[in-house]
Amino acid sequence: MAPADNKGNTQDEDVSRRRFFTLMSLGVGWGGLLTALGGVGVGAARYMLPSVLYEPPTIFKIGTPEEYGIGVDTKLKKERQIWVVRNERGLYVMIAICRHLGCTPNFFQDQSLFRCPCHGSIYDTRGNVVGGPAPRTLWRAAVSLDPVDGQIVVSFNTRQDPDPVGTPEGLMVEELGREIEPYFLKI
Amino acid sequence: MSEKVSDSAQVTTKSSRLSAMIKKTAAGKVAPENTVLVWPNLVYLELICMMVAVSVILFLSLVAPAPLEELASADTTPNPTKAPWYFLGLQELLVYFDPWLAGMVLPTLMLVGLILIPYLDPNPRGKGYYTFSERKFSMLVFSFGLGLWYALIFVGVFFRGLDWSWYWPWDDWHVHQPAGAAKLIDLEIILQSSLGLSESPLITLGRYAVTTANLLTWVILGAFYGIGFTVPFLFFRDFYRKLGFVRYNLVMFFFISMMGVPMKIFVRLLADVKYVLVTPWFKI
Amino acid sequence: MLSLLQKIREAVNKTQVFKSIFRHGYPDTDGNRALVMFSNIILHLHPVRVRRGALKIKFTWCLGGLTFLFFILLAITGVILMFYYVPDTRRAYNDIRDLETVIYFGSLFRAVHRWSAHAMVFSVWMHMTRVFMTGSYKPPREFNWVVGVILLVTTLVLSWTGYLLPWDQLALWAVTVGSKMAEATPFIGAAGPFGPELGFGPENDMAFALLGGTIVGQSALLRFYVLHCLALPLITALFIAVHFWRIRKDGFSGPL
Repeated sequence: MAPADNKGNTQDEDVSRRRFFTLMSLGVGWGGLLTALGGVGVGAARYMLPSVLYEPPTIFKIGTPEEYGIGVDTKLKKERQIWVVRNERGLYVMIAICRHLGCTPNFFQDQSLFRCPCHGSIYDTRGNVVGGPAPRTLWRAAVSLDPVDGQIVVSFNTRQDPDPVGTPEGLMVEELGREIEPYFLKI
Repeated sequence: MSEKVSDSAQVTTKSSRLSAMIKKTAAGKVAPENTVLVWPNLVYLELICMMVAVSVILFLSLVAPAPLEELASADTTPNPTKAPWYFLGLQELLVYFDPWLAGMVLPTLMLVGLILIPYLDPNPRGKGYYTFSERKFSMLVFSFGLGLWYALIFVGVFFRGLDWSWYWPWDDWHVHQPAGAAKLIDLEIILQSSLGLSESPLITLGRYAVTTANLLTWVILGAFYGIGFTVPFLFFRDFYRKLGFVRYNLVMFFFISMMGVPMKIFVRLLADVKYVLVTPWFKI
Repeated sequence: MLSLLQKIREAVNKTQVFKSIFRHGYPDTDGNRALVMFSNIILHLHPVRVRRGALKIKFTWCLGGLTFLFFILLAITGVILMFYYVPDTRRAYNDIRDLETVIYFGSLFRAVHRWSAHAMVFSVWMHMTRVFMTGSYKPPREFNWVVGVILLVTTLVLSWTGYLLPWDQLALWAVTVGSKMAEATPFIGAAGPFGPELGFGPENDMAFALLGGTIVGQSALLRFYVLHCLALPLITALFIAVHFWRIRKDGFSGPL
């Protein structure tokens, strides 16, 4: 009985060892294949994100503050996609891109409103959403004065985008809290 | 000689296979006398169909050539900007929901819902013929979704004008609608002012200040789904039993979400509600 | 006259050239009519025999076949249009203008391409509605319905990518709106819920990968061109092949 038992044990060991090696090689094989495929996937995804961009400059000069009077100035909308707005305290630059889906709103002088032709978003001259589907207020670009020639330098890379508060008038941001550096030029 | 024999043997097997093929029918069970040969019956029908379709396309192309607008320029958006008709349902949806919802989540749900249809419909009847009485529920749900989609496209094509405002056919389509008509308000503000709830937050989670009114909107949305899930479960036991647990929950999720879309649209059109639920990260 | 034609036909049928192309006689016998069906690569999509009801046009309305026809028309006219089109933002618009104004039949090919695209979207949608109404998605055809939904998606994406190529106002704004939607994708879009929290900004999110930049510009035009003319048609053709193959394997549901 005893030798037979021993024999049985060695057989069991053999089987389990073979099983172990089979499982291990299967694991290494399939694991390796999946890792390689995953690597290719990650590589392909990264490949689709370009490292060099050939796009219009995002930092540019727009002349001196004296060139802009009180109110909304739309003369740079075509060239730079911005509106320059001046009030009693100073000057800020809004980016002419609707926060809903990126169309270019039009300024209506008589209503003092920006209205987007794509889905009907409406903004006031401070960029607050007073109607339509836009979920956030218009961006304000960072502005600074060039110490050499005194021109306003606008940067699209830094944009003011505070969380608006829902009110009966629309999505609002408290104005004085927004008029801070670098998004506002005190004049 | 031997070559010839094997050749003719091949021919016989081939021809016997062929005659079997001629007698065999597509459905297998159908008697051969109820079937016809595809050549020439079906093939010629298809050829005629094809010729008619190509003539229609050619005729349309000659009558109405493809349009070409002005050169693309990022500074001016044409007013109004309308997508091609098959995307106008989506564009119209974007008026009522935020882009993440209308542009991404809802289309994904629609497509996943479509893909799941065969797996969610356990009814074995109505296979291969038009019938309404044998599969009322699936027909009604599908037709409702389809009708909703067509209605949105219809609105986009015929009722949207300058600034994407609503224009009736008898309005002057060259005059901008007053902006006041587009004023919108969040549900939680309506609740706050009508129920006289306090504006101070109960708890603040980072950027998220949860007020009583905000909590109430969560309850309303939860109740919408909760009631939708439990009512059929309690009162239409047969419906539940036929579907089983997993199918039932999937069907109800898609069904309730689909019903939510026109409800939000009506709440927007009738009560000017912008969002029913507001968080700093997403709004519904 | 007729007998003369018949004689010519019989003579042609006997030539080595004819026999090398068509491995059967003229299809006026049941045997040859069956051989036609499975010795021709295009015709062998069909079975040899169908039920009588298959000839009833009110069951299928030919919609699946029409969709395939429009796809073929689009492929042919698309290749023709490619001969004169350069996907460069400085040239694209003028190339389309040339096609419309100075190139013989350019306007016609472009119009056929456009109408076929509209027709394909329409017929694919109608086909889907028909398949639902006749319950033809029910077992064992569930998977072919899934393939059909995938084909609906590729059809719509093909239309959308094609919209950018003329580089006119409609092109720019349709794609601007579409890419902003991609930007609003939850979790992987810069403007989507939890996107910024997970570290996605305008220079690494979903829309950036789609456009190859932060604006709809040259790289976006090139990407959409490659997708529209190469990648998506190949994917669509592949799924069409699977779709047809499954129709034959699963059998027809109705009187077909």
